[in-house]
Amino acid sequence: MIIAEQLRMTVYASLLAALTAAGAYLAIPIGPVPIVLQNFFVFLSGLLLGSRWGFASVSVYILVGACGLPIFSIGRGGIGHIMGPTGGYLIGFLPAVYIIGLISEKGGQRVIFDIIAMVCGALLVYAFGVPWLYKVLAGKGMTLQKALFVGMYPFVPGDILKIAVAVPVAKALRPVIRVPGSGFRIPS
Amino acid sequence: MAELTAFRFRTGASLLHKLDVRFKLGFLVLISLAGLKAAPLALCVITFVLIAVIIDTRLPIKVILKELRYFLILLLFVFIARILTTPGSTLIQIMAVSVTREGIYDGSLVCWRLVIIITLGLLFVSTTRTSEIKAAVEWLLIPFPFFQGKRVATMMSLVMRFMPLILDQAKETADAQRARCVENRKNPLYRLRKFAIPVIRRIFESADKLAVAMEARCYSENRTDPWLSSGLKDWVALFVVICLCAMIILI
Repeated sequence: MIIAEQLRMTVYASLLAALTAAGAYLAIPIGPVPIVLQNFFVFLSGLLLGSRWGFASVSVYILVGACGLPIFSIGRGGIGHIMGPTGGYLIGFLPAVYIIGLISEKGGQRVIFDIIAMVCGALLVYAFGVPWLYKVLAGKGMTLQKALFVGMYPFVPGDILKIAVAVPVAKALRPVIRVPGSGFRIPS
Repeated sequence: MAELTAFRFRTGASLLHKLDVRFKLGFLVLISLAGLKAAPLALCVITFVLIAVIIDTRLPIKVILKELRYFLILLLFVFIARILTTPGSTLIQIMAVSVTREGIYDGSLVCWRLVIIITLGLLFVSTTRTSEIKAAVEWLLIPFPFFQGKRVATMMSLVMRFMPLILDQAKETADAQRARCVENRKNPLYRLRKFAIPVIRRIFESADKLAVAMEARCYSENRTDPWLSSGLKDWVALFVVICLCAMIILI
């Protein structure tokens, strides 16, 4: 049964990576950093799969993109994109999903802990993304103040909306999927 | 099927089909890295090379363009957004919105680069079988003991398999909800929730079926992959690509 559960989690993690990719495809291009649904699915990976499998899911997503398949925002892909201005956000997804999974597991899936987890995750994504954006575009007259204005502030309302949606979605989906060994309660 | 149908393997006997997939993966990384900061002249060179390669592979251009039409519309949006947001000397002024010379230059450059990257990805995917990509990824992950190459490769091909499924399911659910007048509800939170839950639930159910099907067919990570081999033409191609990249950087 252990092998069967592993297989199921492998399929689920791939599915969430694919959802993340689909979310990136639905991007609204504004300025250097587009609005994407990517991080909604990253939040969801952490909440549904837990820390370990969530991390695996996001790493596979980044790996597929790094191989040149067009699954990053607005159909871009390749190592070049990871090195580009928005690469920090992609790298930031990795610690973010781990933290979200961890807090959610420790908090026993209570709504308040889920919200705390996602707020921490979102902040982590910006903690990687904004300095990276500043660093890459520093030669083009980008200041830290400006990086915050194009790389963080416009997305905060969207993130609040995404967190507000992720909570009921995770609640509705947890009975459907069962995660062994992640500390989540297994519904009978 | 959804927008990603253009990215699939197409049989053929061109040079690109015959090259070793590991080399092709390397070329993809090299050219996209070099093209990142390319000047217009260098972009011209890449474009000519790509056109030659496309002619050689005999891809059905018209069909692909039709399948990528949503992407082309998106590209137009990027172009317009760049034109309107880049400051510079004004060319045309309509109401409060001004079209600048720098904006047109910047916008067309950004779109050109995007088109080149998409074309590279398209060429790679349409001349390489998924099983070969899988085998190449496994080969690349051999030096990293931390990763289980076989599992990562399986997950990557699963990701590619799920993409069209997700986009199809999302479209189907959106159509069903539109038929039931979901537009009358103005609350975005309500609509997102009522949309996301059934879509994701259904996708998870089909993923569950897939896991059961794999289990029923005795899936295991211990299986034979396609044989990868490199020859003289791969090394020649590598040399040509390195020269091309050097030229792109130096121009």
